[in-house]
Amino acid sequence: MTALAAKRRRILLTGGTSGIGLELARRWADRHDIVITGRSLSGDLAALMRNRPGVTHVVADQAKPEKAAAQIMAALAGRGWESLDHAVLNAATGYAADPASEETARLLETLDTNLTATMLFAHHLFPLLEAGRGSLTLIGSTAHRGAPAFASYAATKAGINGFARSLREEWRGRIIVQVLHPGPTRTTMHKKAGLDTGRAGAFFTPPAAMAAMIDHAIARRVGGRKLSFLRYWSGESLLARGL
Amino acid sequence: MKRALITGASMGLGKAFAEILSRDGWELVTVDRQPDGDDSVHGPAAVRFQCDLSVPDEVAKLLEALKQGEGFDLAILNAGASATGRFETIDPAVIPRLVHLNAFAPMALATGLAGAGRLNAGSNLLFISSLSHFTGYPGASVYAATKDAVAIYAKSIRKPFAAKGISVSCAFPGPLRTAHAERHAPKGAKAEKRMTPEEAAEKILTAALAGRKTIIPGFGPKLFSLAGRAFPAVTVRAMRRLIYDRLDRDVW
Repeated sequence: MTALAAKRRRILLTGGTSGIGLELARRWADRHDIVITGRSLSGDLAALMRNRPGVTHVVADQAKPEKAAAQIMAALAGRGWESLDHAVLNAATGYAADPASEETARLLETLDTNLTATMLFAHHLFPLLEAGRGSLTLIGSTAHRGAPAFASYAATKAGINGFARSLREEWRGRIIVQVLHPGPTRTTMHKKAGLDTGRAGAFFTPPAAMAAMIDHAIARRVGGRKLSFLRYWSGESLLARGL
Repeated sequence: MKRALITGASMGLGKAFAEILSRDGWELVTVDRQPDGDDSVHGPAAVRFQCDLSVPDEVAKLLEALKQGEGFDLAILNAGASATGRFETIDPAVIPRLVHLNAFAPMALATGLAGAGRLNAGSNLLFISSLSHFTGYPGASVYAATKDAVAIYAKSIRKPFAAKGISVSCAFPGPLRTAHAERHAPKGAKAEKRMTPEEAAEKILTAALAGRKTIIPGFGPKLFSLAGRAFPAVTVRAMRRLIYDRLDRDVW
C-alpha cells in the first residue's frame, strides 16, 4: 500500500445501493469515510454498513434533483464535513424504448435523474471539493456515442461527457474533473431497463471488476477513460491499485 | 401544401427558418414563449402556439394540442438558450431550465409526434445542436451538455425513425449574428465575423431537406469541427482562452 493510498478519504458516492456503486462502496468501506446515496437503503448496503460507522446512507431520489441535492448537502453537513476528497456521481437510470414512442414522463425522469441531478450536485459540491482540493468523478457510459434502443439514456450520458469536458477546463488547477465510461457490466441495470442481453450478457464485465477499474482511474486522476472489455481482459481489474 | 413546425420562431435562426419556408410556400405552425399578437415578432404562421418550452408540463400540453392537428412534413426543433458564466457562480435554477428547454423539449416533441403519427412518411426532422459538440465549451458547460445530449439523441434515433420514413438531421451551427449570441459573446468579439442567421438557415434547410444527417454550416465551423475531433485537448484549451478567460459577466 502506498502512502497516498493509506490516507483516509472523505467520499460522496451516489447510487451506492446496488450495481457498480455498491461494489465501489465495498472496496472503500474499510479504509475511508463514505456518504452513500440511493433511492432507498438496500439489504446489501445495510449489511455493509453494519459495524462501520464511517459509512452512512442518505435517501435521495434524483428524479427530483433539487430535493435530492438538499438531502445530500444536509447529510454532508450532518457528518460535519466541510470538505470532500472525492465525489463520485454514479447514480443513473434508463429504460429501453422504441425511440419513436417513448413515454414523455420516462424521458423526463431519465434526463433529470442522469443529467440535471448530476450537474446540480456538481454545482452544490463545488465549495467542498475546492476546500478539499478534491476530485469530481462522473460515471458516463460507452453508450454516450449513441444507442438506438436506449436513445434517451445515451443522450444523458453524452450530456455528462460534454459537461465534464467543459467543466474540466473551467476547474483546471482547482478540482480534478473526470468522466469514466463503463462498458456493459453484469448489473441489474439491463433487466430494470427492459433490455434482454441474451448470451452476450455472459461476456459483460462483472461489477466488482468494473468498480476496480473505476477506483484505479480515480486514484490515477485520469481525465477521461473508456472502461471496456479490453481493459478488463487485460487484467487491469486484478492488478490495479485504487484509493 | 407542405406543413412545417418550428419552435422558437420569433427570433434568430428560428425566425430565419420561418421566413425562408413561408417564402417557399410552406404552411407554418410556430411555437414561441412570447404571447401571440404581434406579427412583426411572430412572422407568417398559419397556427401559433404560446408555450414556455422550459416547463415540462407545458411541453406535454403542447404535444397534446399538436397531436390533434394534421401531420408535419418538416419539424425544426430549434428553440434553445445558453447560459454563460463560471459554472459555480451561475444560478443553479438555470441547470434544470436549460436541460428541459434544450434537451427535454425537442426529445419529447420528436418522440411524441412520431409516436402519434404526426410526422408524415417522407418528412424531415431537424434538431439544432451546437458547434461546441465537437470540442468543449468552458464558460457554458450546462449549455454544452444539453447540446451534446441533443446531438447524440438525434444520432441514436436516426435508424429507427428512418424505418418510419422520417429523415433525422442535426445541425451544428457556430456563432451567429443574433441578439442571443450578442448577449453571451465575450467582450471584444467581432459580430461581423459571425454568420448571419439567414445564411445559416438557408444552408441548414437545404442540407436537411436533402437528408444530410450532420450539418455544419460554413467553412470556418467545418474546419473547427475537424480540429475539435483531431486535437481535442488543444481545441478545448483554445476555447478556454477565447471564451472562459475573457468572461466578464454571467448571463442566463
